Amino acid sequence: MELTLYTIVVPAIAGILVRVLPGALKGVRETITLVASAVTLVVAILLFRQGWVEAKVFGVAMLKVDALSSFVLLWVGIFGFLMMLYSVGFMKDRSRLGEYYGYSLLSLAAACGVVLANDMILLVAMWAFLGLMLHLLIDVAGASASAAVKKTSIIVGGTDALLAFAVVILWLMTGSTSLTQEAIPTITGLACLTFILFACAAFAKAGAMPFHGWVPEAAEAGPASAVAFLPASLDKLLGIYLLARVSLHLFNLTPAMALILLVVGAVTLLGGVMMALVQHDMKRLLGYHAVSQVGYMVIGIGTLNPVGVAGGLFHMLNNAIAKGCLFLTGGAVEKREGTTSLDKLGGLARFMPVTFASCLLAALAISGVPPFGGFASKWMVYQGIVDLGKGGGHLWVIWLVAAMFGSALTLASFVKLLHGVFLGIRARGGQGPKEVGILMWLPMILLGVVGLVFGVFAYALPLKAFIVPAVSAVPSLRVPGGGVWLNWWNLGVATLLILAGLGIGLLIYLAGRARAVRRDSAYVGGEILPAEARVTGTEFYNTITDMPCFKRIQRWAGAKNLDIYEYGRDLVGYLARGAKVLHSGFFAGGLVWLIAGAVVVLAVLVR
Amino acid sequence: MTSALYLFLLVPLVAGVLVALMGKRSPAVADALATLAAGVLSLMALVSVGKSGILWITGGVPPQGTPGMSLVLDGPAVVMLITTNLIGLAGALYSIAYVERALKVRHHALLMLSLAGANWAVLAGDLVGVLVAVAMVSAAAYAMLAHRGAGADARAASKYLVAAGIGVALVLAGMLVTYGSAHSVNMAQVAKTVGTGPTTWHLLALALFLVGLGLQAGMFPFHGWLVGLVDSAPTSFSATLCGVLMKAVGVFAMMRVLFNALGATPTVLSLLLVLGALSIIIGALAALAQNDLKRVLSYHTISETGFVLLGLGLGTRLGIAAALFHMMNVAVAKTLLFMNAGSLEHATGGTSYDRLGDVKHKLPVVGATSTIGALSLSGIPPFGGFWSKLFILVAVVQAERYGYAAWMVAGSILTIASMARFQKVVLHDQAREGMETRRAVPALMQAVAVVLTALCFSMGLLWLPRIQADFFMSAAKVIQEGVTYGANILGM
Repeated sequence: MELTLYTIVVPAIAGILVRVLPGALKGVRETITLVASAVTLVVAILLFRQGWVEAKVFGVAMLKVDALSSFVLLWVGIFGFLMMLYSVGFMKDRSRLGEYYGYSLLSLAAACGVVLANDMILLVAMWAFLGLMLHLLIDVAGASASAAVKKTSIIVGGTDALLAFAVVILWLMTGSTSLTQEAIPTITGLACLTFILFACAAFAKAGAMPFHGWVPEAAEAGPASAVAFLPASLDKLLGIYLLARVSLHLFNLTPAMALILLVVGAVTLLGGVMMALVQHDMKRLLGYHAVSQVGYMVIGIGTLNPVGVAGGLFHMLNNAIAKGCLFLTGGAVEKREGTTSLDKLGGLARFMPVTFASCLLAALAISGVPPFGGFASKWMVYQGIVDLGKGGGHLWVIWLVAAMFGSALTLASFVKLLHGVFLGIRARGGQGPKEVGILMWLPMILLGVVGLVFGVFAYALPLKAFIVPAVSAVPSLRVPGGGVWLNWWNLGVATLLILAGLGIGLLIYLAGRARAVRRDSAYVGGEILPAEARVTGTEFYNTITDMPCFKRIQRWAGAKNLDIYEYGRDLVGYLARGAKVLHSGFFAGGLVWLIAGAVVVLAVLVR
Repeated sequence: MTSALYLFLLVPLVAGVLVALMGKRSPAVADALATLAAGVLSLMALVSVGKSGILWITGGVPPQGTPGMSLVLDGPAVVMLITTNLIGLAGALYSIAYVERALKVRHHALLMLSLAGANWAVLAGDLVGVLVAVAMVSAAAYAMLAHRGAGADARAASKYLVAAGIGVALVLAGMLVTYGSAHSVNMAQVAKTVGTGPTTWHLLALALFLVGLGLQAGMFPFHGWLVGLVDSAPTSFSATLCGVLMKAVGVFAMMRVLFNALGATPTVLSLLLVLGALSIIIGALAALAQNDLKRVLSYHTISETGFVLLGLGLGTRLGIAAALFHMMNVAVAKTLLFMNAGSLEHATGGTSYDRLGDVKHKLPVVGATSTIGALSLSGIPPFGGFWSKLFILVAVVQAERYGYAAWMVAGSILTIASMARFQKVVLHDQAREGMETRRAVPALMQAVAVVLTALCFSMGLLWLPRIQADFFMSAAKVIQEGVTYGANILGM
């Protein structure tokens, strides 16, 4: 059997096995899950080292590994394994484990299938199957998740139909279902329509506006480990993978189509982070962040120049790492405290130091603080936007401002989150919880450290190994004369400087401590604040959201104006009421319809 | 052995008569007879794969101008026979446990009568056969509605009688008009006269059959009768009716008459496209506005029929093949969901959305099989419904009907929305007030649902290239080639 097939077949068979095995066998499901995901990871590593593979199934080149898919596949494998490891700790003592592990493994198989598919029909089937698994995984959380399950399956399933439509048009346009073919310029209306349909499916999977509505709902309601696995990491990778695949390989985008990407990116970025800023639930807040960060990736790809695209893809990786890690810490907090509401948490840093450290690392990384990975990738997106501006026009300023401003707001909302969960005073008082077990903290801290390493050694490791080969393989992005398009910027020196700065700060602090520190009571409005009073952090940065222009944006976005699901629901509700009126009983309506219809048919046929 | 074709009509009719005669004494006999007959029919249908034949009821090819009745077994008929009789068997098995004792004889006898009607509609080589088939199924449905005698059900029965009467009258009128212009009621002979180009009489016949059989199929705007019927009929009968009977006497007979006998003109094809497209959206929208599972399912029948009509209306081979395949997939998924609605009714006493919830945990088998059925109906892979809907879409785009393609995609999204709503409200949500599981769902009913679920899983395999070519494409060829059917049959 072809090596590529193992990544799909092994987790699929293991998933079915786990799903049907009786629950009485203790530890068997977990073992199968871990072994299968480890095998998948090993095969993914092997395929990554091979670089370019084409696998024939039924004599057709159904599966293919190229520069873009090989690194995405590798990361799918890595996330698969880490998340399963975490799940063993997280899901312990919960019910419906057969469903949970079974659907997780099937998701892994489908994700590998999406990445490897070289046949568009296979892509659609795997893509939609992944959506199905997503909805089943969220459902494992029970009746409280039913609304989120419904919304997810409508948005994700509905856009699957759009993807199928796009694929069918493209098939008949080019006469082939292969994904390896000449890029089509988006100059005809039909090509534009096809591209937009593809983009809608990618947006929905990745969680870009206006198809983002399901992400925060699922993030809040679903099991934290499943959310970290699918919406936070795998769906991001795959959504952006598809967007990159169609934008760079299948189509030659005209500036008008690129503009759509840029607008969607900017709106997603700002809208998502504005919503994140006002959330009171850790998982929901992270869900809006997961939406917001997609904006950078979409903008990056929308710039259509090598630096920007590389930045977008790199940010996809950084975001998946950081966001996966953040949701895992959210799961750890939920496991120990039984809630993720910021109003009921606080002061956990002392009790769960590893969770705090991971959360801090990931939060800094995703907020774009140097020298973390998120900084490097955002910087490249900025560079890409500036390069886009060199081509003329003034719109690029908007994208740049949106990107930079979004980054600042991201940091602000993470300060709020870190404070609300880990700093301050524990809301319930009393003895704090223990740190979670190694199965749970190991994946978290690993991802947190990787986020840092990917910033410090950005050029030497991730860019060199993953991103540059993928970008260089795109014909339309080749720089004439094979010039170097990355502005090599010495991150190592920057890191040393930052460390030096921190070290000097520490020295000053230590030196200052020698002298007496003045201690005083805390006052609020002239009243002495009791020592046990706590500041929740949920009210942080209300000054930002209270500024008149932001308040308006906030209110507009808060009213779900950016969510296509809400519009769709209103429209369908209106039409369905109309349809109900038409069906108010056979004799009142049905007979009239019958006769009128018969008359029309007669009139049309027998003129 | 073409005379074996008689058996498709005789087996259910004889079984029906025997049920009526002997079932009174012991319902077990009625159960055994009905199941046996449906089982034999299913076996015969499966054996008929790849075979073809023509049986002249009136003895030899009659001269033009005399009524010639025949039964024709060919590609499309085989596809439909398998669907009809297997679902009929599922219906018979299910109703062993579902139907209450007092109702059994009547239910089983009428089920057999309607199966005979459906088989006749599928095999009919003449318009008389079509008319009789339509009348048989309508009569069975009416008798099924009228069984309780008085009250709301009786009113529903009388309303249905009006609609069915109009339907039968229109088919009768179509037959008479055809006889008037073509001097034959045999579809092959009628087909041979069409070559010269459509006359006004011929167009009139087309219109009458389109409306009359469209009414049976549940095509918009002739679908009004369906919901009233589903409200009152036993759910086991609704399952077979919406699953296959409407498709056999409605869609399939319409396909035969319009394409093979009368020759579908471009206007007829356009009408099929328009009415199919309207059925898709209006059925799905009406389903979204309903709060009762059985009503939701009956409106989805209209919507799904719309997809089939859209495939047929293209007039291309792929469109017709995908439509036939979709008809099979929908038959399985729809029957499954209707049976589960019946199981819910059996266990909790109702199918209203307001009084259900958490079925997933309260009745795990019903919950799990309903999930799969809903997913297949929504067109989610790997279930059968995904593949057939996808290839109807391929056919629509291939015909460069982009507007219809977009419309169809919108219809798919509405179906997904409605099925997601069903899953949320009935399967996932907390149980609502007033819901109590009074009885367990009998094992037999669950077993039938499980088998149909397995079919939902595996039917996608029927679209593998070899089977697709031998089974669906060759059947579609017969339909697509239109009135050459006449020469083919008469030369046989």
